[in-house]
Amino acid sequence: MSKGKSSVSIIIDNKPFQVPKGITILEAAEQNDIYIPTLCAHKELTPFGGCRMCIVEVEGFRNFPTACTTPVSEGMIIRTHTAQIQAMRSDILQLLMSEHTSSCLVCAENEECKRYSGTIRKSGITTGCRYCSNDDQCEMQEVAEYLGAKEIVYPISYRNVRVEKEDPFYDRDYNLCILCGRCVRMCQEIRTANVLAFKHSGRKTVVGPAFGRTHMDSGCEFCGACVSVCPTGTLSEKARKWEGKPDREVVTTCSFCGVGCQMRLLVKGDHVIGSLPVIGDMVNDGQLCVRGRFCVNEMVNNYQRLVRPFKTYTDIRVEILWDEAITTAAEQLKNCPPDQFGMVASPNCSNESLYVAQKFARQAMNSHNIDTTARSYYGSGFNEFLSLMKKSVSLDDVRKADTIVCIGLDTRFGRSVIGVELRKAAARGTRIVTFNSRDHNLTLIAEKWLQPTIGHEAEVLEKLVALTKSGKAAAAPKLPADAGVSADDLACAAELLKASKSCVVMIGSDFLQYENSDHILTTIEQLAKNPAIGVMPLPAQNNLNGTFMMGAYPELLPNGCASSSKASRDKLGTAWKAKLPSAKGQWCESMLQQGSKLKVLYLVGETPHGDKVADFTIFQNIYPPDKAIHADLMLPAAAFTEEDGTFINGEGRLQKIRKAVEPPADTMPDWKILCLIAQEMGIKGFDYKSVKDIQKEIASIVPAFKGYDKPSRAPGPIKCDGTLTLSAPGVENMPKRSKKYPFLLTGSVVAHSYRGFPLSLYVNGAKTIFPEGVIEINDEDARKAKIKSGDDVIVESGTLKGHWRVSVIARQPRGTVHVRLRLGETVSHNPHAVSMRKNDV
Amino acid sequence: MKETDYDKIFSRFKGVESDIIPMLLRIQEKEGYISEEAVMRMSRFLRISENQIYGVASFYSRYRFNKPGRNSIKVCMGTACHVHGGKFSCEAFEWQFGVKIGERSDDGKFDLQQVNCMGCCTLAPVVQINEDIYGHTLVTGLKEMLRKYE
Ligand code: SF4
Ligand code: SF4
Ligand code: SF4
Ligand code: SF4
Ligand code: FES
Ligand code: FES
Repeated sequence: MSKGKSSVSIIIDNKPFQVPKGITILEAAEQNDIYIPTLCAHKELTPFGGCRMCIVEVEGFRNFPTACTTPVSEGMIIRTHTAQIQAMRSDILQLLMSEHTSSCLVCAENEECKRYSGTIRKSGITTGCRYCSNDDQCEMQEVAEYLGAKEIVYPISYRNVRVEKEDPFYDRDYNLCILCGRCVRMCQEIRTANVLAFKHSGRKTVVGPAFGRTHMDSGCEFCGACVSVCPTGTLSEKARKWEGKPDREVVTTCSFCGVGCQMRLLVKGDHVIGSLPVIGDMVNDGQLCVRGRFCVNEMVNNYQRLVRPFKTYTDIRVEILWDEAITTAAEQLKNCPPDQFGMVASPNCSNESLYVAQKFARQAMNSHNIDTTARSYYGSGFNEFLSLMKKSVSLDDVRKADTIVCIGLDTRFGRSVIGVELRKAAARGTRIVTFNSRDHNLTLIAEKWLQPTIGHEAEVLEKLVALTKSGKAAAAPKLPADAGVSADDLACAAELLKASKSCVVMIGSDFLQYENSDHILTTIEQLAKNPAIGVMPLPAQNNLNGTFMMGAYPELLPNGCASSSKASRDKLGTAWKAKLPSAKGQWCESMLQQGSKLKVLYLVGETPHGDKVADFTIFQNIYPPDKAIHADLMLPAAAFTEEDGTFINGEGRLQKIRKAVEPPADTMPDWKILCLIAQEMGIKGFDYKSVKDIQKEIASIVPAFKGYDKPSRAPGPIKCDGTLTLSAPGVENMPKRSKKYPFLLTGSVVAHSYRGFPLSLYVNGAKTIFPEGVIEINDEDARKAKIKSGDDVIVESGTLKGHWRVSVIARQPRGTVHVRLRLGETVSHNPHAVSMRKNDV
Repeated sequence: MKETDYDKIFSRFKGVESDIIPMLLRIQEKEGYISEEAVMRMSRFLRISENQIYGVASFYSRYRFNKPGRNSIKVCMGTACHVHGGKFSCEAFEWQFGVKIGERSDDGKFDLQQVNCMGCCTLAPVVQINEDIYGHTLVTGLKEMLRKYE
């Protein structure tokens, strides 16, 4: 009888089955490979019962229940395709088709067309008709084919609504919408972004955001989850609209941020045409953010890719062969003294490439001068960020937490996968506190929004730390009246923290570029001294963790050992059968901005900082540098879709990337190029045949790398005993507004870049969601200053003169302005007081 | 409506999902329509997205989203009126004011709405201006009709 408890016996189409209790008829049928046509049901979503395509006959039922909403029960006798049901289904389909008028369903040439791609036009071309971007991948077509629909019998009622193309990334043609509600449920139930809703009623029903707004204006995260589930061509991706059906899929890890989502690359021919999330994954379970969902194909496929080596002769770039490129590089490097060599690698590179890069610097160049651009991104708080990563909890802890504090986190266009987790947590009753001076997408779910005045963040956090210490709250420093956070609000947040049994503090990017970011981060670390509070720093770069573990810093050797320790150096030297230089060097990447000059600068997956910081610059990347920037030698590298390797995400999960397509033309993975140059220089130890060889070597030096072949992907905080000593400490300057400088300016640098190139450079839609050179101002301030959106302004202070374009947004706090810097720009002190005037020309 | 007016209305509610409809009613009573600001404030108060609130509100034809004019013109679109050419009156008004159904004329004097059967089909086509009912209307007579409300 034990079987009877968990399963029921049913009969479907005269065959008996044992199926688990509680599932629906549709699920029971699917489990046993019986096809029932559906349009509104979707395995990720709750049943809706809207399209009635899945009606079945159940003995004892007077009407025809929908299989997707009806649970099975003991002894049920179900018939899925009796003549009567098929006739009813056909009728339902006909009703849909009368509004969904599409030749693709009823064209008389349909069959011929599939075979010969002929055309009904009276001309001798063989193209077939591409009526709809969803052709051949359409569930509506499947159902029509199953039911054998050949014509539209009811009077046609075409909706004739405008196709909505105003938003980035996807178009919407609601003439094709069958109101199945999948997109609405996806956006509301799973993404909980709540952008889409059914509007109006009866025949006028449409899907969309409030007041006919655009998705951009309605909080849409452009996660594309709605596009993925739409059974028709209503929602279509702009970038792969006419690409058709992909040939195959390759699972890999997204390289656009430290969350490390698993994605399926869609491949057609030798191109990656799109990317979709992996369903059921432990990191991102069926979700991606806009970068992973919509930016991969455009970022790796652009026609401007650097696909052959180039050499620059007095400003003219000349294509050369690999042989010449390698000898040129080797020659320059051989003649370069160790202390005049510098290598900057990208935190977007794979572990294997990073490892080979630092080995190249240390062994071939006898120099510790290897660094990554993460150093300037994290500024004064770099070491503090590393030290928080050593304590990082995992996403599973976030899922178990009863309280979550988000500091400087906005999950709209980056890490929206984390945003989904947060909203799910909120729905479970987890209490959320968000700490950010600007309005952001978490305010709706947060129980408390602490909105410190710009410049007072560290102070407010310090007070919070004091308040959460039991007892001596009275000794806490008094907050100034203009700190922006009331004593009550702070006390309330402190109470939440104190009452919490498991709390996670998540750290986003919003304060990282502040001059006192080290202070803010150390204060957060103090907060985490409380045993019930864990921290989770969310790195902006996908492989930041890997840069530490592979030793891509002057201060760090592989396995995160301090390069200042002779024992560690010797140990590594023995493994490499080489002698490592003593770590006297004080060079780091941020010195490039300060004008220190090198003999050779080698950029592995990075873009140059300023012009002519070295006598000879080797530039190795997937795109050429900006025309205005000088690079003596350009080497074409492979993108993450074109190579095998591993990444370590922010939580410390070791994850694989897989080659989906061959590297285009002459491009090669970074490690391979480095090895060729080292071999040309006559250095031993660079004869790796494949990534496997490198991985074996890494595993013998970095214990955490064991199991690289079948990574368990278990999370774990960084274990590394080195510290980053070369970053300059922060400055504490409380910016003061004055009559002359009435605005407080903050700046944020481009965080959405891949190998030094902002996504907005090559991805069309990214230009809209990641504007650059834009200064944001509150509507009231703008009115007073007589400035409107789109105006050019000059922003000045004693140390700054900037030209930016104005964007007026309600969410910018009054008296403050925020600039989204272009690549390579800085705002001198961040934050600081400035004046602003219209540029009248 | 001022911030305090919203506060006053909101103070009567707990802030749960089922408050949407009665809240909308109160706001429309007070202001005559549901403004974008009202939806934004409701969203903050209820912690439900503006899009969802709008979805619920737009389901019911009684809620309006445009500021009413000083006089309201309702054109009947019920079956009888439709058959008798109610549509033409509607179009005539649209042309005259340069507005679409649901909107308000630029000078704020009139707003235009379509309604379903008003229960006096014998008078079809029917137009209602404020509380006054006009039956057997002719497109050519509309201008004359409006004069009273200038
Ligand atoms: S892209 Fe994502 S957030 Fe935007 S409407 Fe679709 S599901 Fe909702
Ligand atoms: S847009 Fe697509 S998913 Fe959304 S209701 Fe229409 S057909 Fe369904
Ligand atoms: S949505 Fe599907 S059925 Fe409709 S036109 Fe496109 S491919 Fe054809
Ligand atoms: S959250 Fe990060 S890893 Fe995930 S899809 Fe977005 S950019 Fe990629
Ligand atoms: S699939 Fe069951 S009603 Fe649509
Ligand atoms: S149809 Fe217009 S009043 Fe009935």
